[in-house]
Amino acid sequence: MKNLAPLCNLLLTIMLSVWTVLLWNPLPLAALLALELILIGYAGQAGKLARPVLGLSLVAGFFAVIQLPFDVAIPTAIASGLKMMVMTVAFLLLFATTKLPGLTAALVKQARIPYEYAFLFTSALRFVPDFLAESQAVREAQTCRGYVPSRNPVKRLISYAALVEPMVLRAISRSETMAMSLELRGFGSARRTFSQQIEFHGRDYLVLTLLAAMTAVVVLYR
Amino acid sequence: MLDIQQVSFAYPGHAPALKELSLTVAAGDFIGLAGRNGSGKTTLTRIMVGLAKPVSGQVLLDGRNTLQCGPAVMARAIGYVFQNPDRQIFRDTVAQEVAFGPEQMDWSDNERTQAVADALRMTGLESVAAAYPRGLTRSFRQRIAIASALALKPRLLILDEPTSGQDAEEKAQLMSLLDELNQQGIGIILVTHDMELLLAHTRRAVVLHQGEKVFDGQTEELFAATTATKVSEWGLRVPDVAAVAAKLEKPLGAVRTVEELADRIEGRLRGDEREKPGAPM
Amino acid sequence: MQAIQFEDFSYHYPKTGTGLDRVSLEIPFGSFTVLTGANGGGKTTLCLAMTGLVPHFFGGSLSGQVLVEGQSTAGRSVAETAGGVGIVMEDYESQLVSLTVFEEIAFALENQGLPAALIQTRVSEALSAVGLDGLEQRELSALSGGQKQRLAVASVIASQPKILVLDEPASALDPEGAEELYALLAKLNREQGITVIVADHDLARALPYADTVIVMEQGRVALQGKPTDVFTKMLTDQVYAAAVPALRQLKGRLEKEHPALSDWLNVDAAASEINALLSPKRRLSLSA
Repeated sequence: MKNLAPLCNLLLTIMLSVWTVLLWNPLPLAALLALELILIGYAGQAGKLARPVLGLSLVAGFFAVIQLPFDVAIPTAIASGLKMMVMTVAFLLLFATTKLPGLTAALVKQARIPYEYAFLFTSALRFVPDFLAESQAVREAQTCRGYVPSRNPVKRLISYAALVEPMVLRAISRSETMAMSLELRGFGSARRTFSQQIEFHGRDYLVLTLLAAMTAVVVLYR
Repeated sequence: MLDIQQVSFAYPGHAPALKELSLTVAAGDFIGLAGRNGSGKTTLTRIMVGLAKPVSGQVLLDGRNTLQCGPAVMARAIGYVFQNPDRQIFRDTVAQEVAFGPEQMDWSDNERTQAVADALRMTGLESVAAAYPRGLTRSFRQRIAIASALALKPRLLILDEPTSGQDAEEKAQLMSLLDELNQQGIGIILVTHDMELLLAHTRRAVVLHQGEKVFDGQTEELFAATTATKVSEWGLRVPDVAAVAAKLEKPLGAVRTVEELADRIEGRLRGDEREKPGAPM
Repeated sequence: MQAIQFEDFSYHYPKTGTGLDRVSLEIPFGSFTVLTGANGGGKTTLCLAMTGLVPHFFGGSLSGQVLVEGQSTAGRSVAETAGGVGIVMEDYESQLVSLTVFEEIAFALENQGLPAALIQTRVSEALSAVGLDGLEQRELSALSGGQKQRLAVASVIASQPKILVLDEPASALDPEGAEELYALLAKLNREQGITVIVADHDLARALPYADTVIVMEQGRVALQGKPTDVFTKMLTDQVYAAAVPALRQLKGRLEKEHPALSDWLNVDAAASEINALLSPKRRLSLSA
């Protein structure tokens, strides 16, 4: 995965989500999930993603089971659980593997996305790990003051303020510094160039062809 | 009070962060915990408060194993003050902010009110009890974090680099607050890179190096008896006061502050040979 | 022409009304200045005013002017001023906006429209100057705190500014990390002639490198000059005296009764002079 051109990588994740939307049978959805898991293993992210994937499967299982009392057919319930699972794992895959050099350049030069939007997207990715670390730090700080999330859902929601507010305030101060940084470095200049070489290679074309073929199969035989 | 026995810890896929480390903290201790970044200081303090579980070894609080206790429970015995107070401050007034911890406890309203009042008084925050915490300076916000920990009536307070971002005068004020708290019987573990503060204020120093405890003794001894090469191998810096004192041909004894060293030199110059070492500043 | 010149510059933030009060100072090219003073005294505002972010980014009212390389910051865009003066802000992690090391350093250069080959060269030069050689493809999330700071320095010097401003750069570093950072700044100052301005509370670690100290107090320049003279003034006039390095405080105390001690630039100099003071010969002559 790391050897693919960034845009190709991104397309793969997007197409996974598209197929998921189109498919309604548990079997092909299960196959997609298997494909995703293989890709995660192939990308060397198995160790990092094992826990979130396990957690997601529990949530998805719960989501499937909870529909049964409402006269939903068992295959449909399973399919909707799987759908949710495949979609979210696709996003995990995206975050875990597309942080590649040249993604911004690829979005602008190959996908023809305006630079400002492409930048917005990649800089958001840049802050995902920081955001996760920050939320962990805030949670720990509050726990050390005796904070335990309440069992009562309403109280629990209210008590989340203790976690959310410090993070929001931090995000605001961060975005101010970031805005200064952008201004200092001439962001938005009309003269902008891209210095990274991002070309499609044989394997990228191969993956793109496979993606197209797979989409055709899904559309025709769903 | 706190007994750490042969504790080891490792983050998955990394070299061990702590190797069979043992440490006993007595009630009312004032300990400086030093070592370079990555030496295991933070891992050790996280284990003390239950934020991390050791791979092996035990942590005993008053003789009882704490490994089953989460940090929210441990907070009643050991307060943890994080380096950045902005990661926890979220309420509209200082008093409300400090009351957050007591509200999580199954205390009576009276007990809660009293705990908050005590914490504000101990940290000198009574005058700003109704102020908006985020509008106060960093040094006040640091005090609010300390008050928040004290509100749960811990017997030991761990502070991670509490003086970072503070100017020289704020640092001095914060350190005298810690001195006062310690005099009231609260144990202090000060995690710091600032060796001048360590020397001036702590009685006992613990140094970690590559996950092992390499020094545990009187703070003056750390800089007087330990060779300078060892100290720098551990990533520490001998405070200038101690370095000058160590280079004097006629030893003046261990000194902790500039004032103390100046007093000794002047005493010697006045011919007062009976100057006693170790007098408080 | 000075690297930076404040001409009777006053500034007030729109919200709080605090800021700078009639600041006049000159920072010559090639100098190494340490900026200190109590929190809230105007250090950060002074740093931001050198880059034009004050007032361009914050708004607010001002009088007087700031000249960077002889050009008023008021008449140029922030990006134009930044071509001559680079800043590493206190929250340097938020200053970094890209996914990878290469993109971060190339960011400003690409915005300037430089050709790709030149950018490649500049990026590897900047990385090697800060000791991060070969980490071009590394993701930012995989860097340590100290490495991120070096990256922030690299991304600034890649634009080849003549002036480098750093706002409390060492506050998250351990003593060794801080020393390495100062050594790096001293190297840039000495070898490339970059004018360095560092805001720091710890004057002891800056002392071996700095040729000028500025003390800010309530938005004004309280003291400015050679470190030795400024330290003496800080002690005698009680201006932020608590920040005077320990050796200078000791010297200040002893000089009350034994004036004319030499400059104590290091521990050895201090110890040998105290030894001389305490030696029996000297004491004999004193009592005689």
